[in-house]
Amino acid sequence: MSSLSDPWKHLSTSGKIILPLVALLVLGTVALTVLWVVGIGPQVMQGLLDTAGANIGILRFLAAATGVLLFTVPAAFVIIFMELKIIAFMNLRIGPNRIGPWGTLSSTIHGLKVLAKEDYTPSGVDVPVFTLAPAVVYLAAVLTLLVIPFGPGMLGYEMELGLLYFFAVGGLGVIGLMMAGWSSFNKYSLLGGLRAAAAIISYELPLILGVMGVVLLAGTLNLGTIVENQSGWFLNWYAFQQPLALIIFFIAATAEASRTPFDFTEADSEIVAGFATEYSGMRFGFFFFAEYVNVFILSALTVTLFLGGWNGLFDIDPLLEAVGIATPVSLSLDIASLGPWLMAIPVLVLPILVMGLTALVWMVKSSWGFLVSLIVGFVLANLLIVGALSIWALFSFDALMGITWFLGKSFALVALFVLMRATFPRVRMDQLMGFAWKWMMPAALLNIFVTAGAILIVKELAG
Amino acid sequence: MRTEPTRIRSLDDPEVLVQTPATIYDAVPPLTPRTEREAEFYTLGDGEMFVNLGPQHPSTHGVLRVVLKIDGERIVDLDPVLGYLHRGVEKICEHGDWHHAISNCDPLEYAASMFSEALPVLAAEKLLGLEVPRRAEHIRVLVWELNRIASHALFIGWLALDLGGLTPILYGFTERDEIVEMLAALTGQKLLFNYMRIGGVNGDLNHEFLSRLGDWMGRAGKHIDGQATLMNENEIFVNRTKGLGVIDRETALRLAMSGPPLRASGVPYDVRRAHPYSVYPELEFDVPVRSEGDSYARYLLHIEEIKQSLRIIDQVLQRMPDGPVMAKLPRLLRVPPGRAYIALESPRGQYAAYAISDGTDQPFRFRIHDPSFFNLQAVGLLTPGHLVADIMAIMASLDPIMGGIDK
Repeated sequence: MSSLSDPWKHLSTSGKIILPLVALLVLGTVALTVLWVVGIGPQVMQGLLDTAGANIGILRFLAAATGVLLFTVPAAFVIIFMELKIIAFMNLRIGPNRIGPWGTLSSTIHGLKVLAKEDYTPSGVDVPVFTLAPAVVYLAAVLTLLVIPFGPGMLGYEMELGLLYFFAVGGLGVIGLMMAGWSSFNKYSLLGGLRAAAAIISYELPLILGVMGVVLLAGTLNLGTIVENQSGWFLNWYAFQQPLALIIFFIAATAEASRTPFDFTEADSEIVAGFATEYSGMRFGFFFFAEYVNVFILSALTVTLFLGGWNGLFDIDPLLEAVGIATPVSLSLDIASLGPWLMAIPVLVLPILVMGLTALVWMVKSSWGFLVSLIVGFVLANLLIVGALSIWALFSFDALMGITWFLGKSFALVALFVLMRATFPRVRMDQLMGFAWKWMMPAALLNIFVTAGAILIVKELAG
Repeated sequence: MRTEPTRIRSLDDPEVLVQTPATIYDAVPPLTPRTEREAEFYTLGDGEMFVNLGPQHPSTHGVLRVVLKIDGERIVDLDPVLGYLHRGVEKICEHGDWHHAISNCDPLEYAASMFSEALPVLAAEKLLGLEVPRRAEHIRVLVWELNRIASHALFIGWLALDLGGLTPILYGFTERDEIVEMLAALTGQKLLFNYMRIGGVNGDLNHEFLSRLGDWMGRAGKHIDGQATLMNENEIFVNRTKGLGVIDRETALRLAMSGPPLRASGVPYDVRRAHPYSVYPELEFDVPVRSEGDSYARYLLHIEEIKQSLRIIDQVLQRMPDGPVMAKLPRLLRVPPGRAYIALESPRGQYAAYAISDGTDQPFRFRIHDPSFFNLQAVGLLTPGHLVADIMAIMASLDPIMGGIDK
């Protein structure tokens, strides 16, 4: 009996999933080739396209989900790099500085390293549950991003009950953590999984109750509408109408993402690595990534609900209108109407700019010689033009401005999370529970009653 | 007919192990309990389970293994298992001569080895009735106090790290690094200094040591205060440590504890004052005492002691006399027969040695009293009833060093 006699038994679980998929792909290719050879290929293709057109909603959802999934990877890389570097500055260290400029690529290399490591399944684990747990955790994190508006109209999926969907899907992550803790056949994992479950369940309540004030004010669960309600200048943000809710939400979000000071689910000095103790390779990578994606998502939700979402600090549209550059898009599209002579200006801008900058550089730094100055001048001119075009694009397209504001605010909050990690020790389990039930729950309930009362009184006075 | 030889599954035969399908672990046949206490501990009650903390655990400060019996997160009972770092230092000391004992005792207290290496030195000097030069005595006190600060700075970082704080350990190491660099300039070593000698010290103060020391003394107080502000007023840190692991005065004395854990329980016992040695009686310093006896008090006491050590270093530098740093001794040192007990105040408490000499150049018996061992005993009394997270805070605040505990 050689070990090759039964290959199916010797495949890993991922192999058992991938092999049928490859077979399916091969079959599909063969079938398409046969269709084309027979001659009914175009008709079948037309039929397929019509089917796609009829089900455009599903396709849009799949495309949005893929886009969101792809977005999480660079976002996690950026957050990991921020964490490495900011904590290093707090610790009086230099931090990563080898790979890429200022070590910016080191988190990417970390990701590749995790991919290359052995994916080990210890004996004694519950294999299907053990394998599925990281996917559940990661997907629960990623799917919540679908309803977050990145810019005006830039939602993965427009949903009237967006906030409810967010909490419902986000809550699934706990199941993944418990699966990991239970199936690992390790007592540290078990403790970590149960800690995660207990903590996250007791913090879901203040998290959701804290948001209720905002929902009462906005009158909707649609996140896009909530952001639109906060447009105008920054005093319109809900943070200034619901400061207590913001504090409750932020603390609960820290616990929800199991970040320091509430990171006892994977407390390295107590239970080694919690639910992730037995994981290695990319399965561990999924837990690792999910943690950082969660940090981004909760920052993004805080920004969406309390800090104006994609709205800027000030509404500068009236100013732009007054200056007369409110519709630069039309201007740029209408360039032919300038006439042949004026059209020469954009063509001549680059050489004139290059020569002018070269002369300037040469005067400032005559030791460089003309050729070097020319190169430097060319680079500077290009940078200037690209910069100017970027600023123009930023002010011309609302979506671009919106996503810039949104990501800027989100990553500022992420930096706050990271600073907290560098500063605080860990809270004990029972202290955290006590804080959640004795202080944050009553505060959240009080916030709801006060907000509802205030809305009633304002309505009475107005109506 | 050919028959396959029957094979017995064993660890020595890798082929068998590879071909045997992986199963859930075979139950290890339980050892017969040797004592009543073992029999009681290794019987699980309803809903209880064992968790093995160590010997390779991030926060047991070395290779301590603690078997925890827990009910949920609450610790019911615990069984510390020692001996993973046992080298037989006491026996090794009997086989070398008195000078070898210095470097053999070095790694006992590896965070502050200036103290443990002084044990055979002080014992031999007491047996010889030797008068150590004044300059050598002052240099000894200087390096002792520097090493005490290095050890205490590390303690603060460790305590914070075990509570989940990432930053204080780096601040502590920054402080320790500066001291260790200057001691390396003096002794040539960064961890195990091997600097004490019977009758003095190995080498006079040099320029690099003094310039580094002067440079560091200018900002040491500020650094320590800065490190303390990160934790003293930190709500989470205070909540985690205040009222945790309270040892009262009588229990502390009954357990033969010493050092900061004893003084945090309200007993003003410091060997430097109680049984003065070296030039300590001539120096001005206070013995900080606190009455609470909890982890937070122990932490605050360490910071106070760092300040007192800075005070001592200031005085020693001002009083530093001229002269030789080694007494004149024969090359082959025969210590007269007799018994000697010496004690000194290490960062962890009373470090003591009981030496018997039979008149040869080797100690006949060299018994070492390590304070970490006695302080660590309190863990068994303090942790039952607390959560798993608390055992770290309690153990870190007692500051054990496994090198000395396992000897």
